[in-house]
Amino acid sequence: MTAVLKVSADARLRVALSAPDSLRRQALSDVLVEAGYIVVDIEDPADIILADGDCAAGDNRPMVRLGDGDRPASGLLPRHAKPHQIDAALRAVAAGLIVRSPAASEPGFGQLDEGDAQELLTPRELEVLSAIMDGLTNKLIARQLDISLHTVKFHVESVFRKLEVGTRAAAVAKALEANHFKMIKL
Amino acid sequence: MVDRTNILAQFSSALVERSVAANSAIAAIRLREGRHMTGMLWRPDAVITSEQSLPEREEFELLTADGSAIKAKIAGRDPGTNLAALKPERPLSVATAIPAASHVGALAIAFGADAGGTATPRLGVVNAIGPEWHSSHGGRIEQRVELDIDLARREEGGPVFDASGRLLGMSTFGPRRQVIIIPAATIERVVPILLKDGRVSRGWLGVGLRPVAVPEGLGDGQSSGLMVMSLAAGGPAANAGIVAGDIVLSVDGVSARRMRNITARLGTDSIGRTIDLRFIRGGLVTSRQAMITERPNS
Repeated sequence: MTAVLKVSADARLRVALSAPDSLRRQALSDVLVEAGYIVVDIEDPADIILADGDCAAGDNRPMVRLGDGDRPASGLLPRHAKPHQIDAALRAVAAGLIVRSPAASEPGFGQLDEGDAQELLTPRELEVLSAIMDGLTNKLIARQLDISLHTVKFHVESVFRKLEVGTRAAAVAKALEANHFKMIKL
Repeated sequence: MVDRTNILAQFSSALVERSVAANSAIAAIRLREGRHMTGMLWRPDAVITSEQSLPEREEFELLTADGSAIKAKIAGRDPGTNLAALKPERPLSVATAIPAASHVGALAIAFGADAGGTATPRLGVVNAIGPEWHSSHGGRIEQRVELDIDLARREEGGPVFDASGRLLGMSTFGPRRQVIIIPAATIERVVPILLKDGRVSRGWLGVGLRPVAVPEGLGDGQSSGLMVMSLAAGGPAANAGIVAGDIVLSVDGVSARRMRNITARLGTDSIGRTIDLRFIRGGLVTSRQAMITERPNS
């Protein structure tokens, strides 16, 4: 028996947009139209809601929210999410998934993070990790940093060892979680 | 009438009484259409709240449970301790709370404000305490206090009381939305300065730093340092000739392995002082002098 999996890419989603600020509303509407969505008012029938902040809509339609709010939403993105993130989140939530971005929850008032000296990366390793996070292959990293492929592999291994991971995806996840790119301003 | 033999009923009615009393200890701070946060009535001329969640505005409207709407101007804000003080245009009647220290396991009642300024209680215990700590914004907080309470966004900035009705501090969100307290002792130290000067002055170097491992063979054996990621144009570090990529090893001879060692040298009294920065550049250890100035407002 063969299962047939079909993804209909041409089904245009109807997005009900809730944005109290008119400038934000216009910008978000442009993003949605550009990405091929049909934008409707919050009261109109829609497949999904995109809310800028808390949305008063008292219904059960799936919702992606930008920024803070107290109401539950299947999709949570930071206020300044990129257009491709909004697009991805809308599709995922419309498909019944839950979407969270590591940066969606505000950092909160926290302690000065001293980090763990064991897993601190060298400047070069940070450059390599940042390139991994951009999705670059070893070959492209070598070209970008102007170092040999062999040296890149050496740094990648060292990053994996320090972060205690075995794959690039895990390294990215760990780096985001550990906030390796946090900067402290003094 | 409360059944004097039913301890749970007594407990419950005590909480009801406290919640009614809390109406005169809080206010709703209107942010924008449909949104608000909680302010804690601290003195007749000062309402305090959580700095991190208060938008950058000069004037706000306070709503109190008795139905009044009072305009209040920003008196001062300190991101370092996450405290902001608002000055209402007319004095409020405030029952000054007696401050108290937190203890693990002690009952804690946190009050937020609903949209009309009526107190919304949350009950829990002090889940963990720790020693004095330094925030990522450079402020010193007298005690680390974590609660086992969940708050709605709008409830942040309200008072937290103990079982005797004494003030433990102001509620706020730490990382991952954990509810922590800015202790009453920190409020008592910082808010008078905010009311007087509008801010807490701190020393400033004008650098963005990130902890890094020092590549092997460099740094006189020190294994970690702070790499300069950004420089404020015209700031003390830039003026001293520090450039992005320098890895700071020590400040005034004190190892930069711990960020705290540096923030501790940037208190109010540090302004105008010259410090010695030792760092790695291009594989060599070198040093420069920088004069600490006052941290700009933004």
